[in-house]
Amino acid sequence: MALLQEADRKVLKEKFAELKNPVKMVVFTQEMECQYCKETRQLAEEVAELSDMITLEVYDFVKHQEIAEEYNVDKIPATIIMTGGDDPKDYGIRFYGIPSGYEFSSIIEDIMMVAGGETGLGAEMKAWAAALDKPVHLQVFVTPTCPYCPRAVLMGHQLAMESDMITADMVEAIEFPHLSNKYAVQGVPRTVINETIHMEGAAPEPMLLAKLKQAA
Amino acid sequence: MFRELQFPKHQSYLRDWSNLEDWTNLKKMNLNMDLGMGLSNLGGPKEYDVIIVGGGPGGASAAIYTARADLRTLVIDKGLTAGALGITAKISNYPGVPGPIAGADLVEIMRRQAESFGAEFLTDKVVGVDLSSHPKMVMAGTDTFHAKAIILATGSMGRTNTVKGEAELLGRGVSYCATCDGAFFRDKPVAVIGNNDEAIEEALFLTKFASRIHLLVPTPAFKARQVLTDEITHHPNVTIQMGVRLKEIVGEDQVEGVRIQPRGGEETVLPVNGAFVYLQGGQPITDYLMGQVETTEAGCLSVDAEMQTSVPGLYAIGDLLCSHIKQAVVAAADGVIAAVAVDKFIHGRNKIQTDWK
Repeated sequence: MALLQEADRKVLKEKFAELKNPVKMVVFTQEMECQYCKETRQLAEEVAELSDMITLEVYDFVKHQEIAEEYNVDKIPATIIMTGGDDPKDYGIRFYGIPSGYEFSSIIEDIMMVAGGETGLGAEMKAWAAALDKPVHLQVFVTPTCPYCPRAVLMGHQLAMESDMITADMVEAIEFPHLSNKYAVQGVPRTVINETIHMEGAAPEPMLLAKLKQAA
Repeated sequence: MFRELQFPKHQSYLRDWSNLEDWTNLKKMNLNMDLGMGLSNLGGPKEYDVIIVGGGPGGASAAIYTARADLRTLVIDKGLTAGALGITAKISNYPGVPGPIAGADLVEIMRRQAESFGAEFLTDKVVGVDLSSHPKMVMAGTDTFHAKAIILATGSMGRTNTVKGEAELLGRGVSYCATCDGAFFRDKPVAVIGNNDEAIEEALFLTKFASRIHLLVPTPAFKARQVLTDEITHHPNVTIQMGVRLKEIVGEDQVEGVRIQPRGGEETVLPVNGAFVYLQGGQPITDYLMGQVETTEAGCLSVDAEMQTSVPGLYAIGDLLCSHIKQAVVAAADGVIAAVAVDKFIHGRNKIQTDWK
């Protein structure tokens, strides 16, 4: 059974008609598909079908271990949105867990952003990102029923695209309970920066920037 | 079918999930049917001339005037009984309406009047605004909108103070969003503190996860719609205490309980793992602005004679302004002043069309 309904496809097709540059989706699953691996893969397949500008590569987390390492993917289901075509570029945009519910829009926003080549971040944030000289890792914990969460995910992914020093993961809290425990996640969105600094809620750029400055 | 499922009403999407057995089903449902939750804005944000946040007497009056001036108008409001007038049982001093009339009925009349001129109303909660973008952006729970001008009319039923422990334990068991965080409290006891529609809806949502919900009502009676109070009162997993003050949220690294005091009674600590707080007070509601507009020390917005804030195209009216008498008719008059100013701002007009020329 298709996950995307006909009306959804139509809206997405129209949206994707604006895509100017090729986008690649990379999905990691495994033969004995994990919880939501199957749906994550199927969702990616159905999205990729909607535009010639979107290509999809699906890998087995176990069999293609070296590729998983290359992409620095350590858990599944994992989805990467990156520039495709002849000159591919991975920005460090990651979704761990299924991007369903409110998070489905984050995948689509990311595709549009990567194809457009512009993050839309404010001048101050861009200046900070440009001056970064050490790596920054953001993990944005979400649930699919959280309307505030996509804002936090998108901002993380904007940052990842803005600077090669930054990687940003969406982490679906319920699918990765050990990570939720590790980072004491009992509310979402919760953004963990470089393991130590954390922030509750979908904060505007200046607030996130203040936290980022603490971390790096 | 996602258009039907994009949750036009806050309460309806809670209802739609009420038959769900567990989180897995919830997620499956999201997959199969509710991708549209996030999809609704994929056609690009919907464009309006003016968005009015809050549909009380101020917001509805502004909408009457902006819609009548042919400005594409959207009013986003949490619900009829979300504001100060909406929960007023009887009002008899609104000019032209002898009454006594229920506050919610009076608001409803104003909304119908605005709708008759073409204003649209959306039942939703605004979660954020972006004032730096052009046009300005308004993010609601279900969708994102663009507008040339925004009128803020969210009133002053926000909380004055947090209780001890609340800020420290935010995200560690303290939450303001049950739909976001309910799944972290599976088979655990939680407290929901509040007396309005939102508190009851969120408590009902939590019945899908929590082992027991203690609904702690700060007033002697609910201030919510009857259909909700009936449902919550009869729910087997919900224990209701009326007239209870929340004194403290207790816990070291995470919530371990809430310290409460019943009217005329002794303080006790109720052991819970989660505390969902939906208390109201007398503070202007400006949290969704996330610091993008300066407020006074008392938390109020400052405006000029045309109700414009320091941000061009952003207006504030009614109980958001501390200089005002907190009366429905004053908020309504503010709304009209702001509406005329918005028309000027967008069209460069000097005056609005009048009936008495």
